[in-house]
Amino acid sequence: MGGERALTLVSLGFVAFALVVALLSNATPSPMWRSGVLLIANCLFVGSYVTSALQLLPFAAFLLLGFVVIEAVRRHPSSTAQWVGIAAITLSFIFLKKYSFLGASLALPFPYLIIGLSYVLFRVLHLLIDARQGELREPIGLLDFFNYTCNFLTFTAGPIQRFEDYRAQRQLPTALEPPLVRESFSRIAIGYVKVAVVSAIFNNLFASVSSRVLAPELARSLSNPAFVFAFAAAAVCYTVYLYYNFSGYVDIVIGVGWLCGQRLPENFNRPFSARNFLDFWSRWHMTLSDWFKTYLFNPLFKVLAARFQRPSVAPYLGVVAFFVTFLVMGVWHGTTSVFVVYGVVLGAGASLNKLWQVFIQKRLGKKAYKALSERPAAIYLSRGLTSAYFALALTCLWVNLAELQALVHRLGIVGLVACYAGLTAVTACAFVAWDRLSALLARRTTEGGAQRSTLARDFALAAQVLLIFAVSSFFHKAPEFVYRAF
Amino acid sequence: MKPILIQLARLLGALLGLYAVILALSFVLVPNDHVAGRLDTARASSSLFITEPKYVFMARGQLDSPADKVVLLGASNVMAGFKQEQVQALLPNVEVHNLAVGGSNIKQVGQVVDLVHEVQSPVARQHTEYVIGLWYGLFAADSARWNTPDRVAGDTDIDIERYRYGFYRRTDHGPEPLLPPRYLSVGAFLIHPCLALDRATRDATQSVRGFLSGKPAPLTDEQRNQAVVTPAEQAKYLAFWRDYMGSADTVSQESFRTLEHVVDSIAQGGGRVLLVDMPIPAWHSRGSALHANYRVRMDSELARLQARPGVSVARMTDANDDLDFRDEVHPKPRVAELWARQLVKSLEPALVRADNDAERPALVNAALSSTGSL
Repeated sequence: MGGERALTLVSLGFVAFALVVALLSNATPSPMWRSGVLLIANCLFVGSYVTSALQLLPFAAFLLLGFVVIEAVRRHPSSTAQWVGIAAITLSFIFLKKYSFLGASLALPFPYLIIGLSYVLFRVLHLLIDARQGELREPIGLLDFFNYTCNFLTFTAGPIQRFEDYRAQRQLPTALEPPLVRESFSRIAIGYVKVAVVSAIFNNLFASVSSRVLAPELARSLSNPAFVFAFAAAAVCYTVYLYYNFSGYVDIVIGVGWLCGQRLPENFNRPFSARNFLDFWSRWHMTLSDWFKTYLFNPLFKVLAARFQRPSVAPYLGVVAFFVTFLVMGVWHGTTSVFVVYGVVLGAGASLNKLWQVFIQKRLGKKAYKALSERPAAIYLSRGLTSAYFALALTCLWVNLAELQALVHRLGIVGLVACYAGLTAVTACAFVAWDRLSALLARRTTEGGAQRSTLARDFALAAQVLLIFAVSSFFHKAPEFVYRAF
Repeated sequence: MKPILIQLARLLGALLGLYAVILALSFVLVPNDHVAGRLDTARASSSLFITEPKYVFMARGQLDSPADKVVLLGASNVMAGFKQEQVQALLPNVEVHNLAVGGSNIKQVGQVVDLVHEVQSPVARQHTEYVIGLWYGLFAADSARWNTPDRVAGDTDIDIERYRYGFYRRTDHGPEPLLPPRYLSVGAFLIHPCLALDRATRDATQSVRGFLSGKPAPLTDEQRNQAVVTPAEQAKYLAFWRDYMGSADTVSQESFRTLEHVVDSIAQGGGRVLLVDMPIPAWHSRGSALHANYRVRMDSELARLQARPGVSVARMTDANDDLDFRDEVHPKPRVAELWARQLVKSLEPALVRADNDAERPALVNAALSSTGSL
């Protein structure tokens, strides 16, 4: 929707737009001026995704509903008001997102804006629950509400900033110093290298390999070991593509945010260094994980703990709470049945991870378990197991349910186990090699970093920009930003 | 605001400096000699342009000359059936250029004509005779043909090349040139490092890409000459074209209007066009409802177009022996020379009409007699 006018992240239009917004944001140090600039920028950005006012209407109604409900709950913070509000907002969201179980008859008969709706939902629910808990003492003005929920930098796919952080920095005057500007430019360039170079290359590789697995005729021509290999290669390519695509997007919006006087939260912290599945989710899409932890896992765990008070049961309550949380998080990713499978796979990963921790600590004791988990072999094996599981789980994002069934049928139990074991071994070895290489490069960079002149930094930045343009010209189409679809 | 503007200026300066160095280096490492001689998209894969659409887009500047020229247009069957060097050998006093692009439909053929017109002077246009190879596959509906996941819906392969380096910009009315066509050579000069890098990258990764995509290695001419299409393959090909065309039995009406526009555009430019009714194997024409539908409509269309000045028609549909084709549409290499001679024979009257020079028919006749006749 919006077609060619849409300000997509990988368009030159977006770069120019962001630059103008950054320049205008710094025209005066006044916070009010910055809010005004942000308001206009947000309107233009959201408007670029639609071609008529009608397409904006459902989205605007959803926003208005959110605003009214939050204010009502803030004024009358009762549990009933909160749950009625959550139900109204969630049901509206499900309706507008056209979840497949609703059927075609329950959909509005015209195209309308859906992009950004998921993340608006998170922000609205966050405000609503905080209002119920009395954390929103002052009313939120319409301008603040719109700028917070529809911030052009975080509109499409986060990161999910907390309202109090947004409000605190909104009131600060801007003070843009040259080192921060250099750092911002560098962060933005790295982001574009990730999106337009690395993710584009892996997207291209993924398209080639996945067609061999998904096209029935090509798949039939492969022997079973070759099929397992091709599937594993497709899973790896998609995972690398997704990571660089999303983390690149976050680098860009954080970098532009710095230029505009916004400090957006980080969303990734070296996720492939995670030693287990739960650790992984504290490093991947961190603001989403935090949101689910705050607004689903913690309340659910509290309810369960209140209901089942025997100490011996307590560790298993975490298993249940993790399963439910990850199931919901998985289902949130899409509107079709394959995302329920994704949720189950994520839930299974999280709860098995928790069960394993409970079991192994009982068996070995905390001290011995800690000692074991600090051994390099155990670390790399854990990282391999975690990354391989995540890569296989992500299959649900690139197939439909029928294709998933065909894949599982073709692989069989043996194929799936072989795939998981092979991927674990290969990724564990790759992590060893990567860590050594990174350490070597880091040492060199530290040694030479002190002497690196501003001019050298400018040329390094220019080299990245040229690389982005050169590689972009290789491909027909810039890679889509994956998370905008979620 | 000031720190941002200063950083921008520094970045711009570094970009210009670095690019100047890279540009100079790229010409040292990869000399710019890739468009010498007549244009032939069959040589695109060995050129710096790599693909046929990019070759057509970037190399077309050579067509702006007052010399008489024949420009071959169509899809891959034109490339396989009318080999540039064979047609050129039969027409030594005319420049023969092959601008056929594999996978084209008539919309894309029209775009190639537009690209040629963009770079040609009025005089050069008047000295251009187009040959368009027609068959039902060329009339695939745009909505079906140009709607694959790897492209912006509706973009043809030529459109992709227009946008690739920013020479054109996307508008609601279609592509609009940002770089005036007269500066095409300047544009090609400036993007030389990108072309060289693309070529080097593709060469370096060819085997990996081949392995990943699982595409079989291209056949040799000998293998193509020996190819036999089995009944199972025939069924597969027929199913493919039903899917490709966007309809199982009806050829797009819009495409016939596009053909008419292409012919009009050529005539308005002062050029001439020979419409060649290309053959497909007999088994294919017997088994395809699309072909039957196309045949009825094309016969009347050709009769109508033939009546226009500057338009002539050559019917080659009799050359449809199953054994002369290596698949459902491409002739075997061994018959290409016969096809070339038949094409030149059909071109002769048009060339004679177009040229007041008394030597022209003699030259064509001499060329034909030296290679025999069909």
